[in-house]
Amino acid sequence: MAQYTKGIAGIWTDEHLILKAARKTREAGFTKFEAISAYPVHGMEEACGIKRSWIPYVTFVSGFVGMILGLLLTWWTSAVDWAVNVGGKPFFSLPAFIPIIFELTILFAALCSVAALFYACKIPRIDPPNIDPDLSCHKFAIFIPFNDVGYDESKIEKMFKEMGATEVKKTEY
Amino acid sequence: MGEHNHVNLHVSKFEAPAKLKTLSFALIAIGLLTFVVGLMKNQERLWTSYLVAFFFFSAMGVSGLFWIALNNVSKAGWSVSIRRYAEATTAFIPGILVGGLILLVGFKHLYPWANSETVANNAVIAAKTGYLNTGFFVVRLFIFAVGCMLFKYVMVGNSLKQDQTGDANLTHKNVSPAVGFLVFFALAFSFFSVDLLMSLLPTWYSTIFGIYTFSGMFQAGMAFLAIVVVLMKRHGYVKGYVTEEHQHDVVKYLKGFSIFWAYIAFSQFMLIWYANLPEETEYYIMRAQGGWMGVSMALLIFRFVVPFLALLPRGAKRNDNHVLLVSALVLVMQYVDIYWMVYPNFFDGHVTFGFWEIGIFAGFAGVFLLTIMSFWSKHSLVPLKDPRLHEAVNHHVAY
Repeated sequence: MAQYTKGIAGIWTDEHLILKAARKTREAGFTKFEAISAYPVHGMEEACGIKRSWIPYVTFVSGFVGMILGLLLTWWTSAVDWAVNVGGKPFFSLPAFIPIIFELTILFAALCSVAALFYACKIPRIDPPNIDPDLSCHKFAIFIPFNDVGYDESKIEKMFKEMGATEVKKTEY
Repeated sequence: MGEHNHVNLHVSKFEAPAKLKTLSFALIAIGLLTFVVGLMKNQERLWTSYLVAFFFFSAMGVSGLFWIALNNVSKAGWSVSIRRYAEATTAFIPGILVGGLILLVGFKHLYPWANSETVANNAVIAAKTGYLNTGFFVVRLFIFAVGCMLFKYVMVGNSLKQDQTGDANLTHKNVSPAVGFLVFFALAFSFFSVDLLMSLLPTWYSTIFGIYTFSGMFQAGMAFLAIVVVLMKRHGYVKGYVTEEHQHDVVKYLKGFSIFWAYIAFSQFMLIWYANLPEETEYYIMRAQGGWMGVSMALLIFRFVVPFLALLPRGAKRNDNHVLLVSALVLVMQYVDIYWMVYPNFFDGHVTFGFWEIGIFAGFAGVFLLTIMSFWSKHSLVPLKDPRLHEAVNHHVAY
C-alpha cells in the first residue's frame, strides 16, 4: 500500500465500474495508483496490474526454518541434554518428534507470514490518511499520487468523470 | 470476474476415441484371461490381486460420488462445469456390486476368519465372529454397494434430468441426498475398508483405518479428476467452461488431500509405534521386514513428500504436463498403498508382484475406462442448465 501523499482520487459507488476504471487507469500508463475498497474485489489485482505477493516465500522459508529448529530442539532436549529412556525406545526417536517439528513449522510459518504482512502493509499505522470515510463502507476509490508518470490534474479529473466517478477529490497529505 | 472469460464458450459432443475403446477391450480381455488362468492355476495370487484391483476401482467409483455430494452440500458454484467429469466415475459403481459378488467366490482364500479351522484354533478370532462372519460380511458389502447405487441414482440422476428439463429446483433437491450420502458414506466406506482390507489380519485393529482408506481414496479421486480436466482441456472438447482456474482448484484439492493422507497415515503409525502393544504393532512389523520396508518408505516419499513439494508452487498447479505426471504418480501410489495393505499378510518378508497383479488390474481398468467413456458419450460434458453455471464460468483463482 502506497503512502498517501498529494494526489487525486476518484470515487465510485459501483464495484464493476471501479474494476473497469482500474484497468483503464493502468492502460492510461499510471503505475503508482492505488485502488481502495472495503473488501476484496475479484479481479482487482489483475486490473491494477499488481504482481504476486512475496509473502508466500517468507512463509516457505520460515516454515523450513521452524522445521529445522524443531528438529534441533527435540534432538537436543531428548537425546543430548536430558536423555530420558521412554519405553526402551531410542533417545532420538523421530516419530515422537514429528508432532513437535510439525507444530513449530506451522508456528514459524504463520507468525512470520503475519509479521511480513504487517511489514508489507506498514501496519499498524497511527492516524492513516482518510480520503473519504465511506470508503470503508460502500464506496470505492482510485487514487493517483502526484509523482506518477503523466500526472495532470485536469486530465485525470476528466478521465475519472468519463469512467463514471461520482466524485473527484484532490487530496493533500 | 475477469472479463476475458466471456469469450468462446463451447461444448462438443464427446466421442470415445477409437484407440482408447480398442485399448479398453484389450485390457478387459487380458483381465479375463488372467482371471480364468488364475482360477485354474494360482487361486491365492488371483484373489489377492483381485482384491487390490477391486478395492482400487471401487474407491475410484465412489470418489466421484463423494466429491459431488461435497459440492452439493457446500452449494459450490465453481465446480459445476467440471461436475460431469466426476460424475463419470460413478458410472462404475454398479461394478462394485458385480465385483463384490465375484469376490465372494474366492473370499475363503483371503480371509482367515472365513475358515472354520482357523477360527477354532484361535480364541481371538473366535471372539470376533459375531462381526466377522460370512453372512454379515455379505450383508455389509451389499449395503455399501446398493446404497452407493441408490445415492448415485438420485444425485447423478437429478443432475442429468436438469439437462433435459432445465429445472433449477433439481439443484436444491440434490442437497438433502448429499447430506444423507455423506453420513452413509462415512459409515459404509469404513465398514467396507475394515471388512475387505483390515480383516485380512483379523487379530489386528486400527480405529482410524476407515479414515486412512478414505484419505487415499479421495486423494486418488482428485488425481484422476485433475487428469481428466487436463486431457479434456487439451483435446478441446470443452472451451471456456473449464479453464486452468478449475484445474488450479482441483490440484489444490489433490495437494490438500496429499497432506491429509500423510497426516492420517502418520497418526495411525505413531500411536501404534508409541503404545507398542503386541496386537497392534504386528501390522507394522510385517511391513517393516524384508522388501516391505522399501514399499513403506516409497509410500511416504511418493505419496506425500514428492506430491507435496511438486504441487507447492502456483505455476506447478497450472502446468498441464506437470499435473499429469504428479497425478499419475498419486494414482500409482494409491495402488501401491492398497497393495501394501493386502500383500504383506500373505507374502511374509518378500515383495511379490508380477503378471497376476497387472493382468487383473488391466481388466478392471478396461471396464472402468469403458464405463466413464460411455457416460460421457451419452451426456453433455457440461451441465449447461445448472443455475450456478455462471459462477463456474467466471471462476477466478485469486493470488
